Amino acid sequence: MNRTFDDLAKQKLETINCTMCGYCKAVCPVFIDVGWDSASPRGRMTLAYGLLTGEIEPDISIADRLFQCTNCTDCMRRCPSGAKCPEVVRAARREMVKLGFVRPAQQALVGNIETTGNIFADPELNLPEQDGPNLLFIGCQHLSRPNATKKTIRLLDRIGIQVGIMTEVCCGFPLDVMGFTEAHAAQKQRFEDRFRADGRPVITLCPSCLVHLREHYQPSTSHILQEIDRRLDTITMLPQSGTVTYHDPCDLSRGAKIIDEPRRILKKMGYDLVEMSTSGNQSRCCGGGGGILTWDSEISDHLSRRRIEEAVATGADMIVTACATCEQTLKKGTRMYAEQSGTQPIPVRHLLDLLSKALA
Amino acid sequence: MASIPLRNPSPEALEKLSRIVGPERIRTTPAELYVYAFNAGMHRAMPGAVVQPMDPFQISAIVSLANEYNFVIIPRGSGTSLCGHTAAVAGGLVIDLQGMNRIKEIEPGDLICVVEPGVVCDRLNAALKKHRFFIPGPASSEVATLGGMVASNSSGDKALKYGATRDYVLGMEAVMPTGEIVRFGTRTIKNSSGYQMEKLMVGMEGTLGIITEITLRMAPLPQKTAACVASFEHLSQAGRTVAEIIGVPILPVQLELMSRACIEAVNKATKLNLPPAGGMLLIACDGHPEAVRTEIEAIRTICSRNEAFRVDYTEDPKRIDELWKGRKQMIPSLSALKPEFATVMLADDMAVPISRVPEAIVGFEEIERQYDILIPTYGHAGDGNLHTKVLLDPENPDHWKQAERAVESIYDLVLKLGGTVTGEHGVAMSKAEYFKKERADSIPFMRAIKHALDPRNIMNPYKIFDWDDGFLSHLRYPVEVSK
Repeated sequence: MNRTFDDLAKQKLETINCTMCGYCKAVCPVFIDVGWDSASPRGRMTLAYGLLTGEIEPDISIADRLFQCTNCTDCMRRCPSGAKCPEVVRAARREMVKLGFVRPAQQALVGNIETTGNIFADPELNLPEQDGPNLLFIGCQHLSRPNATKKTIRLLDRIGIQVGIMTEVCCGFPLDVMGFTEAHAAQKQRFEDRFRADGRPVITLCPSCLVHLREHYQPSTSHILQEIDRRLDTITMLPQSGTVTYHDPCDLSRGAKIIDEPRRILKKMGYDLVEMSTSGNQSRCCGGGGGILTWDSEISDHLSRRRIEEAVATGADMIVTACATCEQTLKKGTRMYAEQSGTQPIPVRHLLDLLSKALA
Repeated sequence: MASIPLRNPSPEALEKLSRIVGPERIRTTPAELYVYAFNAGMHRAMPGAVVQPMDPFQISAIVSLANEYNFVIIPRGSGTSLCGHTAAVAGGLVIDLQGMNRIKEIEPGDLICVVEPGVVCDRLNAALKKHRFFIPGPASSEVATLGGMVASNSSGDKALKYGATRDYVLGMEAVMPTGEIVRFGTRTIKNSSGYQMEKLMVGMEGTLGIITEITLRMAPLPQKTAACVASFEHLSQAGRTVAEIIGVPILPVQLELMSRACIEAVNKATKLNLPPAGGMLLIACDGHPEAVRTEIEAIRTICSRNEAFRVDYTEDPKRIDELWKGRKQMIPSLSALKPEFATVMLADDMAVPISRVPEAIVGFEEIERQYDILIPTYGHAGDGNLHTKVLLDPENPDHWKQAERAVESIYDLVLKLGGTVTGEHGVAMSKAEYFKKERADSIPFMRAIKHALDPRNIMNPYKIFDWDDGFLSHLRYPVEVSK
């Protein structure tokens, strides 16, 4: 059957630019877990190429491999040709969604955003509006934990950052990464109708919202850890103790290049920092990215467990991260690891929560 | 070549295969079959099924089944081969060995290690490093498996001093084309015990059996490494320098040559900031610190005598690592040089006698001009192993025809200079035509061996001496090139 894949066709050069050297296989967490070549970035590029040339017909085996990507983008970092595999995967996903390769969990997430404006389908999920010289974009994940988020806002106030808060809707990142083109376009419109920075600096709490806002709405958007890091010399904190390891969220490290800031903050707090075998811009995904939770939660579980193994190997007392999704995924991983190994789960904490405590 | 009849596993054979490896370890989905048609080279062909066996007994049962049901077997590691080794031109069953990846023994006192074929070279070296040993690997060592390295006798930029994979294979376990599990070679460093079957299996490209365990000797990690980068106005000056260094004699651990196009490609794809030049040598010496310094000093003098306009020296391990990482990324970096063109694996690893390197380089440059096609030259010039890559529009049949003429000229020159068409990547499909010119006397004997060991032609057929279709068929790009 002759099909036209308009979205994917724009990525044709990328699929040819891929020399199929396979270096991406060494870093792709899904390939390392699954072990079949079709689950590697090179494999996904090949499948995209096959769809484009019409040599393969879309089917569930192809959809599986495309949606199993965690969008960690480590393949793109490693690729010597600079082939943008994650972009090709997103384009291919858009084509698959158009053809109806959609899982119920994905459809539910899309429905949640469309009907309530957030991923949790909670119409009350917002904090009271307030004015301020900066605009804080909280994001669905942090809105779902209002007490902790209120503490974060107080923390900002204490270090001299007054923020305005608006009634939010989802920025659309999950729709974009899962390939729901029309839903994403509609959500983008809803977001733009609501999003009024009016020239104010925008600060985010969520790494994924950060990269999405930078890409689609406001390139100058900063992350809260950057703001805290800039003021680190002037902040007094209650000294903390213990050895921690920091898990870099993919969107924060490879996406927004925010790698040193959280580490400086942790050291300032008094923690001893030990690194996992992969960290910084080579950090391994926790298994929570790219919409994989809505497609294949089993692989997600494997990935989070592997990440916990890396963390445990450091001997750290606690895993710290700066992403609410990573935090939840890793917490699940620690429970699984503890059950299987018969040990106590290693605590997983969000850096902002630790900061709120240290500044209390 | 007349069209090749497909020899895929029948539904009944697939059912039996599933019982041998378990239903989770056999795949016939469109995604898997399409992806396993490809590898890092320019040829592709789709298999009928893929399995991931976990031990030699499963493999033996699979091979027996292949003989019973007359389907073809293509062993495969990471899929980083460059000449069509794993293209399933007759369909068949791909045996993916990546799951057999245990490092079984490291015995420093015996100077050996024992691995399964799916162990990735860098992973083995990380384990050996704790004992201060290593195995020299190819540029793709972070993904290439030991099984694939042995089957294609691959080597890399350290071959000048440390040799190729063949030099490290002491023994092996293999499943032969008739299904027997056999042991070849020894665990000893020396061995004069009859025909060295383990060496015969090196470079057989999956045509003589399936390697299930490898016993390798190890090389000691050197105490010190130092490197210098010499830049020349002309590539030929760099070529002359190579022969002079070797003739001293000095045996650097690495002696790499890059043309202007390659330098530009690496600078574009990495942050190495190599100085612009017509030709460049990356030279590294390793060993006792005093010996390294003496050798590097002598090399710097030779470079200056050959009109190097700049010679940089470093002992900084981080910088040395960066330089060689850039070199290792040469093949993919070239593809980024002209975004509208692709780097194709043509005439990719010829070797000439070291003293003929300058003539080869000058000749390649002439061929580049004659055919108006971009052919960057680089390579392990210290051992005479040169690479060219052809940059072309892979969807343009005229580019391919032009490339075919250029490649023929390159190989004619290489053979005239007393060289070989492949130094480290192998023959498979893309070099078969020229290999047959080079090794005409050997081919009847190679065929006799193949027939004796694989009477039903089960193992990776139509490769090396049995590939008659040139390099313009089974291309992985969307193009048809007329004969």
